[in-house]
Amino acid sequence: MPPRNPFTRSAQSAEVKPRKIGSSLLQGVITVIVILAIWQCIVIFFKMPSFILPSPGAVLQKLVQRADVLVFHAWVTMQEILLGLLLGLTMGLFFALQMLLFKPLKRWLLPILIASQAIPVFAIAPILMLWLGYGIASKVVMAALIIFFPVTTCCYDGLRSTPTGYLDLAQTMSASRWQTLRHIRLPAALPTLASGIRVAVVVAPIGAVVGEWVGSSAGLGYLMLQANARMMIDEMFAALFILALFSISLYFMTDQCLKRAIHWRL
Amino acid sequence: MADSVLIKIINGALRYKGEGQYVLSQVNMSIAKHQWTSVLGKSGCGKTSLLRFLAGLLDEKVDWSGSVETPLQGDLSQHVAYMAQQDLLMPWLSVMDNVCLRFRLSNKKITEPEKQQATALIEQVGLLDKIHHFPEQLSGGMRQRVALARTLMQDKPLVLMDEPFSALDAVTRYQLQNLSVTLLQNKTIVLITHDPQEALRLSSKIYLMHGQPAQCHSFPVPTMDVPRRLSGEIAQLQQQLIEQLGKNHASS
Amino acid sequence: MNNRIKKGCVTLLLSVLSLSACAQNKRVTLMLDWFVNPNHGPIIVALQQGYFDEQGLTVKIQEPADPSLPAKLVAANKVDLAISYQTSLTIDVAAKLPLIRASTLISTPLNTMMVLDNGKINTLADLKGKKIGIAIAGNEEAIIGTMLQTAGVNYSDVEIIHVGWALSSALASGKVDAIWGGFRNFESNQLAIEGYPSKAFYPEEHGVPMYDELVVVANADHYDADAIGKFNKAIEKATAYILNHPKKAWTIFVSYSPDTLDNELNQRAWRDTLTRFDLRPAAVDLKRYDEFTQFLFDHKVIPFKPKSGDFVPTL
Repeated sequence: MPPRNPFTRSAQSAEVKPRKIGSSLLQGVITVIVILAIWQCIVIFFKMPSFILPSPGAVLQKLVQRADVLVFHAWVTMQEILLGLLLGLTMGLFFALQMLLFKPLKRWLLPILIASQAIPVFAIAPILMLWLGYGIASKVVMAALIIFFPVTTCCYDGLRSTPTGYLDLAQTMSASRWQTLRHIRLPAALPTLASGIRVAVVVAPIGAVVGEWVGSSAGLGYLMLQANARMMIDEMFAALFILALFSISLYFMTDQCLKRAIHWRL
Repeated sequence: MADSVLIKIINGALRYKGEGQYVLSQVNMSIAKHQWTSVLGKSGCGKTSLLRFLAGLLDEKVDWSGSVETPLQGDLSQHVAYMAQQDLLMPWLSVMDNVCLRFRLSNKKITEPEKQQATALIEQVGLLDKIHHFPEQLSGGMRQRVALARTLMQDKPLVLMDEPFSALDAVTRYQLQNLSVTLLQNKTIVLITHDPQEALRLSSKIYLMHGQPAQCHSFPVPTMDVPRRLSGEIAQLQQQLIEQLGKNHASS
Repeated sequence: MNNRIKKGCVTLLLSVLSLSACAQNKRVTLMLDWFVNPNHGPIIVALQQGYFDEQGLTVKIQEPADPSLPAKLVAANKVDLAISYQTSLTIDVAAKLPLIRASTLISTPLNTMMVLDNGKINTLADLKGKKIGIAIAGNEEAIIGTMLQTAGVNYSDVEIIHVGWALSSALASGKVDAIWGGFRNFESNQLAIEGYPSKAFYPEEHGVPMYDELVVVANADHYDADAIGKFNKAIEKATAYILNHPKKAWTIFVSYSPDTLDNELNQRAWRDTLTRFDLRPAAVDLKRYDEFTQFLFDHKVIPFKPKSGDFVPTL
């Protein structure tokens, strides 16, 4: 059996693809250059003192000079974000399934779900630190908590809005409830879930860094606090830059993967 | 004679639970074995409700009175394959996997002969070269052909069709009608349609459905073999059918 | 009716008078390092007793959300005066922030290494391999490292954890074994009230040179020497009043904001802070500043040594 590949649609689309990626890369590079130029201009024309806005050059220098430190702390933050995503997605999926399968449970779970979004993470962060300690667990939970709501609602909406035609067809094929869920409802919910995952990937770093600000011994948030305390604003910007770079690439990588895996629309 | 009738509906009446008004009443129908029976009516007249009832999709939602007689063993809905206006192909499954959907849904491993059967069916609907394609890569006509293959793979004696050709262009529809007749030779088909020409081309029996609640009357059909070519006689009957449908519409 | 008009006229006259009095006053904005607490005793008492007014100053007090912010705002010339710390000031000046010390509020260190008094940690040497919670201020490695060194423990032998401003709860809950950055007059009382008696190791007793905990900073390029002089006169007078009448001074202090200030923690802290207020807020001791700058430089907290004469001017 030849491999199933949804991307051998036609020769034409195969040709178009690389050019598209190339041009979007170019766009990205141009955007970055323009932002850096504006930044440099602001520093020069408004005579910004370096403790308010360091020049891009100074930040770049720090990026090179402190590469080892930055990489170490970035790795810590990255682990927190990825584990947080994993935990948040699992919990979201689990909650959404519970709400779908046991309708009465929804009334009990909904307040929890809304509370998870309504309570600012900053407010519960110190409490989470005391419960879970100052290690990685508290940051993972923070990141998971912040993505819990978008993931759960997207997943639940997706599971709930399966086209009725599909369900009818499954019924005439005498599929059981579980098989309908497994083979029809879940795959049909994937595109909606994917938009939830896209949101989650963007906000998860917020949870992790807020956690690091409240209590930590490593991570980009920790490094930023330390740099701020020592008036090394350029180093703070360097950490910020790494965080932004990581968040953006995580988003685009996830987006590409999701596009490849979920190539259809309902 | 009783042998050649697969389903006999006597004095059928149907009402959605919680609603006072009946959708169908005094429906009498006999559906002949290995033949196409068309139910013709304006949209919203209740013909889809009848079909969904026969498919067992309305079990808990309706009150039904009257009797449905059939020589088939057990629940009627177990012997039904369903084809809707939308092709209902799962966009995440390839043509092959869509055709074999029923195995997926019953958690059964597909055996080698079954795989070969599916391949043969895909070949019969003329899509062998698209066997690993996904639905989004196919045209509307191709997709409905995959749906046809999936229906055949279900291997049920009774095929219920709810306007499966209505979304296609005229030429594609014509071709697919012919293909369906060929491939569904040994099946009993109940076809819901609002297209008089389609009913006249394919059916050995036509029921007109009209009124509120809807009743049904049989309409005479030509004796030629199906699928019938469009001829003067067919055109004339089509005219009559349209007039009758229009009249019923005005009176109701 | 007549009476009412008279009353109205008098009020109007009074308000015009007080307005004109204000107009003659110099307006000074002062940003605290944190929300109002007993460390700010002389400032609050001077304000409540009208000592600033006597000097022709109108002092407007602001509270920041983040203690690292006030000095930056002074450097950016957004506020006139801010409360900072000698350690932070030295770091800031070494990072070329245009700041000077204008006065000293508390002239000894307040930071201590605090542990729970439960017999587990009795000397600094016992901290080897333990967790120390901090609120990052940028000088931890220098000061904690020096203190530990006096007990033969390396800085790398302890685990440093940033716990933000939850120092007391981090220690009480046992998540860390010691905290650095708690004030001897504040956190120790907080812990005692919660039922956790604590023990303190003082930096100045373990190898760290003396420094001023709380100082007032001004912008090096835009400071008003006259206003600072008047400010210092007023808080000097307030400090003397506090020492002479500690009980009365306490009631004056809490009258600033009874709802938030009048509690047991502040009352205990007040008692412990009395002895820490600088009696000569304007006094300059360049040698002491130079020694502390040398200490920070030796521990690589700052990249070069700013001269004390440049950021601790005699006004």
